[in-house]
Amino acid sequence: MLHLRRVAQKNLIRASRASTRGLATASEPYDVVVIGGGPGGYVAAIKAAQLGLRTACVEKRGALGGTCLNVGCIPSKAMLNNSHLYHQAQHDFARRGIDEIVATVSLNLPKMLEAKTNAVTGLTKGIELLFKQNKVDYIKGSASFLSSTRLSISAISGAAENTPTEVEAKNIIIATGSEVSPFPGGAITIDEQQIVSSTGALELKEVPKKMVVIGGGIIGLEMGSVWSRLGAEVTVVEFLGAIGGAGIDEEVAKSFQRILGKQGLKFKLNTKVLSAEKKDGKVYLQAEAVKDGKQETLEADVVLVAVGRRPYTEGLNIEAAGVEMDNRGRVVIDDQFTTSQKNIKCIGDVTFGPMLAHKAEEEGIAAVEFIKSGHGHVNYAAIPSVVYTHPEVSWVGKTEQELKAEGVKYKVGKFSFAANSRAKTNLDTEGFVKILTEAETDRILGAHIIGPNAGEMIAEAVLALEYGASSEDVARTTHAHPTLSEAFKEAAMAASSKPIHM
Amino acid sequence: MHPSLRCCSARAHTPLIKFLGKRVYPSSSAARHPHPAAPAEFKEHFPQFLARMNSAESSTHTGSTSSLESGTAIYTEFWQAPPRFWKPRVRELEEDEMEAIMSGGASSY
Repeated sequence: MLHLRRVAQKNLIRASRASTRGLATASEPYDVVVIGGGPGGYVAAIKAAQLGLRTACVEKRGALGGTCLNVGCIPSKAMLNNSHLYHQAQHDFARRGIDEIVATVSLNLPKMLEAKTNAVTGLTKGIELLFKQNKVDYIKGSASFLSSTRLSISAISGAAENTPTEVEAKNIIIATGSEVSPFPGGAITIDEQQIVSSTGALELKEVPKKMVVIGGGIIGLEMGSVWSRLGAEVTVVEFLGAIGGAGIDEEVAKSFQRILGKQGLKFKLNTKVLSAEKKDGKVYLQAEAVKDGKQETLEADVVLVAVGRRPYTEGLNIEAAGVEMDNRGRVVIDDQFTTSQKNIKCIGDVTFGPMLAHKAEEEGIAAVEFIKSGHGHVNYAAIPSVVYTHPEVSWVGKTEQELKAEGVKYKVGKFSFAANSRAKTNLDTEGFVKILTEAETDRILGAHIIGPNAGEMIAEAVLALEYGASSEDVARTTHAHPTLSEAFKEAAMAASSKPIHM
Repeated sequence: MHPSLRCCSARAHTPLIKFLGKRVYPSSSAARHPHPAAPAEFKEHFPQFLARMNSAESSTHTGSTSSLESGTAIYTEFWQAPPRFWKPRVRELEEDEMEAIMSGGASSY
């Protein structure tokens, strides 16, 4: 009799559990649900599936890849590459002995924008294929927390008919990324036509005659370069006294500004933009010198607001999950990416650390490994930064200024691309490699590159930092000749002994 | 030739580089620490954050960071565990079967 009561009670409880779950499908909870299909989210989802976890990824954009693939890194690189070719054809081919093309080269902007769109579409579809191959359930919808283990899903246009209205998960990873920061104080409103963010700057229908870029960080310099090469007169207004953004070495920043200045970009440093007024098809910016308060008016056809990005958690109803956020809107996590709710992790732009796609990817993998095994790894001391202008700028590890502030005794090894054979043959010799080492041990502490191929070359420095290499270790490694990477080897030789070619 | 080269060399270079090879993790989960990129004020108050995290966990029965593999998850009721752990392994009785047993078979007629 007692046994029968227990069985009846168990059946009742099971029935009650099923009804309170209220799932659209009768399936078991997912092991992992990732909210956001950007570089952090989609990589986390694929890794989770590869580790044998039943995984879903919820994305509300309608396309995977997040800001990076859709309106950030990828489309901007398409525009940077193609605008560079156009600029070279116009201004650089003649000195290379290619004459006739200069007279006939012309810009087909719609075609250039189409090439950018095709690159984006191809890559986003590629992620969908990877999801299928790895058996990740792709849920096209907007996720909102009902509790720490349950999400409400609002299907978006184009979602499958069997899209669940709710999903339950043992573990949830928040990877909702970031959005463009509005102009501080709300004095300037972005309309994405005349006053644009980085998103609008990738969609301009014609080349503006005059363009003002507010913010001399990575995004501002890259997009400023694109439109400058296509014919716009570009002025970069920066509040700080140097360009390049956080983490750039002062010596590199100065050299960078000088080179971009030679290319035609104008800079107004230590200058604060106060307001913008649209009048007669133009935008008039009121700006003020930080040092003496002297005001001036800047006229532009298009203004790009590139003052940074902020974490994005809109519609997530994060309070329902009991997840803590800080006063800057970032989700608070520990070193295992765990939020104040143990089964909810958070990665990428929406939490601590630099807002970089490759940082989010590493965190996505590590977060899933923590779920699976309780262990994971991201080395925040070895995350590279790259500016994809021409020349490119890249860096990893400590700057000279940081080492001085920390009281570390260090050595500097520098090598100029002007002395590199491949750079010479390419007629592309501006810039240098600078390696910083600990004086006592010769261990590499930082690397800073401005020059051709700097974005690819920094991988060698990241590897050296990750494995604790000395500059002599790098200097004794054979680098193919003639390559630009020999400049990196020579800089390492300069740090550990003496370079051969300088 | 190689020995003579070594003799001629001023010193033998010992690489500083450390090759870590295949990662082998201990069976227990790593201890929690503040996030390396967290602001200083958060690092100072990390013990309080940890306490809030633990109290939040105790109020919910699901979700465990490393429970999927280690099998260390603790359930307060047997039905919260996967069915394979349910004992005794009995066939689930239907309501009418129970009625039949309890009524001495009378309900069947």
